[in-house]
Amino acid sequence: MSDEVLLTPEHPLVVSPGPHLHAAESTAKIMWWVNGTLAPAALWGAFVFGPKALVVIACCVAGAVAAEWGCCAGMKRRNTVSDGSAFCTGLLLALTIGAQVQWWQALLGGAFAVLIGKVIFGGLGFNLFNPALVGRAFMMATFPLAMTSGWISPRPWFSLAPDALTTATPLNVLKEHGLAAAVKVVTSPEGLWNGLVLGFRPGSIGEVSVVLVLLGGAVLVARGIIRLWIPLSVVAGTALATAFTGAAGLHLLSGGLWLGAFYMATDYVTSPTTRNGQVVFGLIIGLLTGLIRVYGGYPEGICYAILLANTLVPALNLWFRPRRTAIAGSPS
Amino acid sequence: MSATATHGSVKTFGKGGIHPGPNKGMTSGKPIEDIPPPKEVRLPLVQHLGEPATMIVKKGDLVRRGQKIADGGATGAPLHATISGKVKPLDRYPHPTLVMSQAIVITRTEGEGTEELEFPEDPAWRGVSREEALERIREAGIVGLGGAAFPTFRKLTLPEGVKLDTLILNGAECEPYLTSDYRIMLAHPVEIVEGAMVMARILGVKRAIIGVESDKPEAAAKLEAAAAGAERGDVKIEVGMCQARYPQGAERQLVHALTGRVMPARALPSAVRVLVQNVATAVAVHDAVRYRKPLLDRVVTVTGPGIREPKNVRVPIGTLLADLVAFGGGFHKGVTRVVAGGPMMGRSLPRLDIPVIKGLNGLVLLTGVSPFEGGYGPCIGCTRCVEACPLGLEPDQVSVRVEAGRQLETEPFGAIDCYECGCCTYVCPSSRPLVQFMQVAKASLRRAGELRIRK
Repeated sequence: MSDEVLLTPEHPLVVSPGPHLHAAESTAKIMWWVNGTLAPAALWGAFVFGPKALVVIACCVAGAVAAEWGCCAGMKRRNTVSDGSAFCTGLLLALTIGAQVQWWQALLGGAFAVLIGKVIFGGLGFNLFNPALVGRAFMMATFPLAMTSGWISPRPWFSLAPDALTTATPLNVLKEHGLAAAVKVVTSPEGLWNGLVLGFRPGSIGEVSVVLVLLGGAVLVARGIIRLWIPLSVVAGTALATAFTGAAGLHLLSGGLWLGAFYMATDYVTSPTTRNGQVVFGLIIGLLTGLIRVYGGYPEGICYAILLANTLVPALNLWFRPRRTAIAGSPS
Repeated sequence: MSATATHGSVKTFGKGGIHPGPNKGMTSGKPIEDIPPPKEVRLPLVQHLGEPATMIVKKGDLVRRGQKIADGGATGAPLHATISGKVKPLDRYPHPTLVMSQAIVITRTEGEGTEELEFPEDPAWRGVSREEALERIREAGIVGLGGAAFPTFRKLTLPEGVKLDTLILNGAECEPYLTSDYRIMLAHPVEIVEGAMVMARILGVKRAIIGVESDKPEAAAKLEAAAAGAERGDVKIEVGMCQARYPQGAERQLVHALTGRVMPARALPSAVRVLVQNVATAVAVHDAVRYRKPLLDRVVTVTGPGIREPKNVRVPIGTLLADLVAFGGGFHKGVTRVVAGGPMMGRSLPRLDIPVIKGLNGLVLLTGVSPFEGGYGPCIGCTRCVEACPLGLEPDQVSVRVEAGRQLETEPFGAIDCYECGCCTYVCPSSRPLVQFMQVAKASLRRAGELRIRK
């Protein structure tokens, strides 16, 4: 082979500035990892609450994805459905609501979450609020009855019992009837373990299995997708705010606390960018969650706690700067 | 005199940095090879920032390898013929960083009058005065061989009132793929230690630390042995092991790791009584003071998936990259980018009729589509860049403001301090050109500062 052949690249050389290497990570990859780690909790929800849960999940996801796709097409923008973020919004929304919600309500909720929660701000990366929680807040305002009552009783998948078998969630009981009643519920036949840990209890589809939510969160931490600062401070804040009620343990094990702490509060776009900011953000969420649960009109508080804390993120980003390794004019 | 070289514990800088997969295995086991003398060398009059050198030979002159052919004046470094041959008329040629620049071209001729100049040892070299040593370093045309290429005699001439206590030799070589410094440390540990002592005497410091990354234990062992065996006077030479982590070889990071001292923002290492020189520069300093030998060659790592036989090559300065690629067996199929320097901070070149300049430490040939070719997405606020920045800056906040045309609002996020290591861009899952956003912000902030001063 002649020198000339050896020296001629087949294509023109690309001129570009450094760096010329890139970590094997992409936004889509991160989003699909999040979706993947949510799958066990979602499937468990479907197992506990029956086919209706699957319908709700499918409709939320379909609504969210359709909204994303429609907006991209309508605005003639690059189609961003494949980045997995709309799917993630739909899935997260489904996990925060009960299986008793109607399919069309779920569809609307998913679409609202993406449209109003994300697209009108400019799309992925520009929204101020967690889109899934925007969707949930919308559904709470629009379909309050369906969202807060008629909780489907947990039951085996193949049971022939009618769907009408409804009950109250542990937090409902705590809110309405006080600590003693709630303790009776969770220590009753279903038991602490079955009810609060395994998830055989009424509640939102994705929150009932604390174990599976924690497992998913642990994978995200191990994979370097999220840091523990936010979840830990959320849980610490909630424990702090509910400690005086004597029901901190119950608060920590029920409701959507873990799903919120690991999957909503850690949303990259709507959380602070520095570690100290993240800790303060998490504590605020935890404290607000406790306050809303104890004094608020709803038994659950994490959704609004996160949405409220989202409004503080731009300020937290300004107040908490990373420590620079070079301090102006201060030789050691 | 007892040996004082110590291993110590593995040290590193405060925060940030990345582990970009070293890829050094392609060439780390390969000793330095000499390239056959090229048919032609092109020596750009500009080898570094500052005053260009002035040609002191005429077209048609026969020059001998080692002969001075251009002088650098008070601020620049002189240039020497790196092969023996005939001088062509001065003209403009492609340059690795300036696009085009004036270069002296020598075409190789052999025969009488073109024998290589010889550089016999000066038996009294250890006893030369500071001034004489500096003059020999200047005459040899030595510039920093780590990449920045600042004239070494100027760096070693301390401004009035500056007092140092430590000389650091940079053998960290943290860029992926590059192994030229590593092979130099293996091949010339004694010259590195001697060069360090020459520089320590010039600077009047009693302590020199050779910083080596912990993935190069053989180099550290050889340097330690050399340091232990050297006649050191009262200069203490140590080998400091640093964590293998990019950008460990950046001055600010290396100084922090080895001395625990934090350089103030926008300051030189002298602010914390330290001066940093590359290990290859130390070898050149040794050669210059001991033999009055000018800087004629440098070691370049020619590597990457796009070259047939990756190598560490000693080449005469001015050798065309095409000769270097040919010596490496030519391209593998699918070459898309030829990067001058390391893949993190180097820039890719459009052509190969470009000469090796004094500051070039590697040529990395990459295949496939550039990871940034597909465009970039929005900032998703993942904070990876904030965590990766070794300076504690916020590339995310800077980038969104630059995108919005609000460069002047990036001041609180530290764009002005960015030294462009590229860690942020490497980790960004949205493939955002964060380091380029930092550059834009930095330029705007500087310009605004200048305007303020003028008013």
